[in-house]
Amino acid sequence: MMTRADRVLMAITLCTLPLLYLHFWTHQDTATVLRIQTAAESATITTLTPDRHVQIAGPIGESTIEIRAGQARFLRSPCAGKVCVHSGWLREAGQLAACLPNRISIQLLGNRPRYDAINF
Amino acid sequence: MPSSSASDSPVPLLAQHQHRALLRTLTLALACLLAACNRLDNPVYHDQFFAFGTLIDLTFYDVDPARAKQASRALEQAFMQMHSDWHAWQPGALQQVNQQLAEEGQATTDPAMAALLQEANRLSTLSNGLFNPLIGRLVALWGFHNDEPPSGPPPAEDLIRQLVEQVPTSADVHVDGKQISSRHPAVRYDLGAFAKGYAIDRGIELLQEQGIAHAIINAGGDLCAIGRHGKRPWRIGIRDPRKPGVLASIELTGDESVFTSGDYERFFEHEGQRYHHIIDPRSGNPAGAVVSATVIHPLAATADAAATALFVAGPDAWPAIARQMGVEYVMLVDREGRIHMNPAMQARLIFESKPDTIVMSETL
Repeated sequence: MMTRADRVLMAITLCTLPLLYLHFWTHQDTATVLRIQTAAESATITTLTPDRHVQIAGPIGESTIEIRAGQARFLRSPCAGKVCVHSGWLREAGQLAACLPNRISIQLLGNRPRYDAINF
Repeated sequence: MPSSSASDSPVPLLAQHQHRALLRTLTLALACLLAACNRLDNPVYHDQFFAFGTLIDLTFYDVDPARAKQASRALEQAFMQMHSDWHAWQPGALQQVNQQLAEEGQATTDPAMAALLQEANRLSTLSNGLFNPLIGRLVALWGFHNDEPPSGPPPAEDLIRQLVEQVPTSADVHVDGKQISSRHPAVRYDLGAFAKGYAIDRGIELLQEQGIAHAIINAGGDLCAIGRHGKRPWRIGIRDPRKPGVLASIELTGDESVFTSGDYERFFEHEGQRYHHIIDPRSGNPAGAVVSATVIHPLAATADAAATALFVAGPDAWPAIARQMGVEYVMLVDREGRIHMNPAMQARLIFESKPDTIVMSETL
């Protein structure tokens, strides 16, 4: 026999399930960490808080990565073309920018990016 | 005054059947939570390295991390070797071939290089020469034989015309075993539109030999995917050629490559005009009618050559060339932002926002 307490508990559980679903299965394209890859060493993972500048040494000098409000970008780099700086802010998980001359790439990672890879 | 009688006789908070029901409910909730947690346990392995003048981004699904690491290192070494062997303007095996062909009209090379050049010639023929791997001299004249893009100005018109008048075609070269012969003095192999695709195909073979069945090799935006992402297909976003963000997305289930040639990849600007690296062998100038050409094909090498050929072919001529090259999925974006594609491609693409104008081709 189900008592009233059981029904209440069951109701609470069933109501919680959609919330759990939303929490674990959706809205996960928000980036959680930043992956920094250099030619010299294996990748490092860093948090997106607090806001700060990260200096990374590469073969042609030092690049500066700016991390602000959960986003990241190349602020400065010693390369000629500045393609990395012009890539602008990375906002979504999976987005990537690279300074090829200085052999540094940054990529936002999340638990559930919208795309597995970007073609361009 | 509180009555003491209730607390004296200990009544269980829940009756036994209530316990059972509660237990079941909690178990159910816990099972759901655990299922959710399991989903968060990430079976995706990522790695990156620099090769072919770009960033190679690897994604493996459901591979033991130690094995993934090993495969990734093997792939990096293979790519480094192929890059230096096939480099268009730095000393290496391809440079030796170019030099011997220029001096003696023939060259001896290794079987791997011969197979690469033969496949490039074959695809060039199928593209009516719009993908032409022999125009190294033109590409050099434009200053694209350099890691950094040139700063301009564009080369003088009579110099371009001179080279266009003597552009070699795939009929001018012949590969037989390890022997390559040329009957045209201007033959200079430049595999810029081909080597990366061919290398990705070899890379996929290498991964499969190592028992990796689910992977993406993404070489600076051009990629090949095998297997799938667990229960779902791989999801690929195709970047908008003119503004930040994704233009359309596509799901890849079988082994397929997605290649895009774009005027935004390598270019310089001079007096307000953009000069990009995709040279039309007929005019000697950057091909002008489209801004990007996207091709899906099982083989990365074919996708690579076809993306270049269809970019050069432009909005009118591309379907005929695509048919000849055996390409079944094509999308072009022209200068006015119109989308040109074939019906099979449209059936697979999911656009982020509805395109203003779609120009649909006949079935390929």
